[in-house]
Amino acid sequence: MISTIAYGLTIGAILFIISIGLSLTFGTMRIVNFAHGLVYTLGAYFLISTLPFARNNFILGALVAVLAVIPISYVIERFVVRKLYGISIDYAIIATYAVALIGIDAIKWIWGASPIPLSDPVGIDISLFGITLPLYRLIIILLAVVIFIALLIFFKKTMVGKIVVAALEDKDAVRGLGISVDKYFTYIFVIGSCLAALGGVLYAPITSVHPYMGMMVLLVSFAVVLVGGLGNIKGTFVSAFVLGMVMAITGRYWGPAAETMVFVVMGIVLIFKPIDV
Amino acid sequence: MATQNSTGFKSFRDILIIAAGFLAIMPVLGINRTTDFIIFSIFVLAFNILYGFMGRLSFGHMLYLGSGAYGITLFTEHVSRNPFLAIIAGICVGALLGAILGPIIVRTTGACFALINLAFNQVGYFLVVVAFSRQTGGEDGMSVSFSKFGFIDFSNKPFKFGFVLLCLLVTYYLLRKFTSSPYGILIKSIKENETRVKFLGYNTFNYKWITFVISSSLSAFAGALSIINYGYVTPSFIDPSRAVEVLFAALIGGAGSLYGAIIGGVIYMAISNYLASYIPRWEMFLGFALLIVVFRFRAGVWGYVSEKFKSRTKAIPVRTP
Repeated sequence: MISTIAYGLTIGAILFIISIGLSLTFGTMRIVNFAHGLVYTLGAYFLISTLPFARNNFILGALVAVLAVIPISYVIERFVVRKLYGISIDYAIIATYAVALIGIDAIKWIWGASPIPLSDPVGIDISLFGITLPLYRLIIILLAVVIFIALLIFFKKTMVGKIVVAALEDKDAVRGLGISVDKYFTYIFVIGSCLAALGGVLYAPITSVHPYMGMMVLLVSFAVVLVGGLGNIKGTFVSAFVLGMVMAITGRYWGPAAETMVFVVMGIVLIFKPIDV
Repeated sequence: MATQNSTGFKSFRDILIIAAGFLAIMPVLGINRTTDFIIFSIFVLAFNILYGFMGRLSFGHMLYLGSGAYGITLFTEHVSRNPFLAIIAGICVGALLGAILGPIIVRTTGACFALINLAFNQVGYFLVVVAFSRQTGGEDGMSVSFSKFGFIDFSNKPFKFGFVLLCLLVTYYLLRKFTSSPYGILIKSIKENETRVKFLGYNTFNYKWITFVISSSLSAFAGALSIINYGYVTPSFIDPSRAVEVLFAALIGGAGSLYGAIIGGVIYMAISNYLASYIPRWEMFLGFALLIVVFRFRAGVWGYVSEKFKSRTKAIPVRTP
């Protein structure tokens, strides 16, 4: 049972890291960003490509992979997402899906379509309450908590964070103060994409890396965002861990049902709390 | 569409044009492919009722196609091999599913509507592939055969083609009637501004629900016809990752017009059938094509053509979404 809880917390941690960017773009720009899954996949693939150069130093490889996503996410924001502000949300879905389609095909072109396995970068197991756990998973959970606290401080203390929080409430009023909201949206988009890439990097050693890994995770993290509330960091944090636990517990009793159960929970939440977007 | 009579004449003319069009491309594409194209066009029409006319984008419409496909399969397996009864059973499964899920789904709008459909589709896929794999054949699917009476023989290709084309024409005619009726106009008003429709005293929930059921049962009809065409069912009929295909088709053709849906269905099928064998990176091509459609030709192919046409003569007005 403890190993199930630990597994649920690991998945929850990764889901939180991925979903936070999605939640912020959804909350500020009202855009359902399917390209988020692409960025996540790219993070994992960049890690695979940089590991041989970094002499298998995982931290260095991860850092390079996350930084390499910055120009790509900037291009996506500048040339696709920014043009979608204000027009119908359907077009945003379609356009970002098209970007994801292009990107996935490019990944298949460059790296091939077959899955690539990665080994556990830490490789040390620790015993806790009588069971052994990979240390790597504990590190992931701690990292998610650190990111959560860092984001809370970021949104409370820094100017950029305050402007974004204000824009979540009322975009037009912030613009009326003479602040170029779009510029801050770009920052948020890039930060969110970097976190998604970090999620891909962290998740890669647990599963294998393949071109469509982003799409399934994206659907689950949409569920996290909808359950947690759009643009709500604390809500996303809670719902990521709750849904992670749902996945782990369902997976323990009936493996294939794990991801389906997340959607069932999301359906139930949406019945009682419909969101108007 | 000033009088009832001219509407009747126009829909008759349109039916002749569509029939002639499919008969014309039949020798080029071959009878199997054309049958396939026609069935997909019916599915696009069903999707377009929700997306083009009511303005609700469903990202999981494969669920309703799949419900028809599995409905007809299980009906022939367990009840009767009569093809017509089986088609009706498939439609009923789709309608029932739409009626049950409708009240939950239609309360949402925009992204929520798209994603909740996707979530249900995911659940349906799971039910078919994993939970009830013994009944549905799981990943492998199962084959279906229908009984014959006299000249009604669904293994005969020209008969199948004729039957499917007739189905498309009937669907087109009914949808034509539906969209130009007061009810259809109300649906379009919900797309434009639901709050105002509510102010006028209409209970929009019921209208949205009924439209949703119409769309889901028509999708199930398309699913049932595909089973008649292929003779076997696989989970790809309910696979949520294929749900974007119909969206692409509706968008390329021009959402919000019945002609556009049929044209979009044919164009999309042509791209995915032929382009895939000529261009190895056809998904990338499709992605760029889609971006161009979203940013440049939002009215789609039919919208663009009719806009050009309208500048010279007064043609049928096309609503751009």
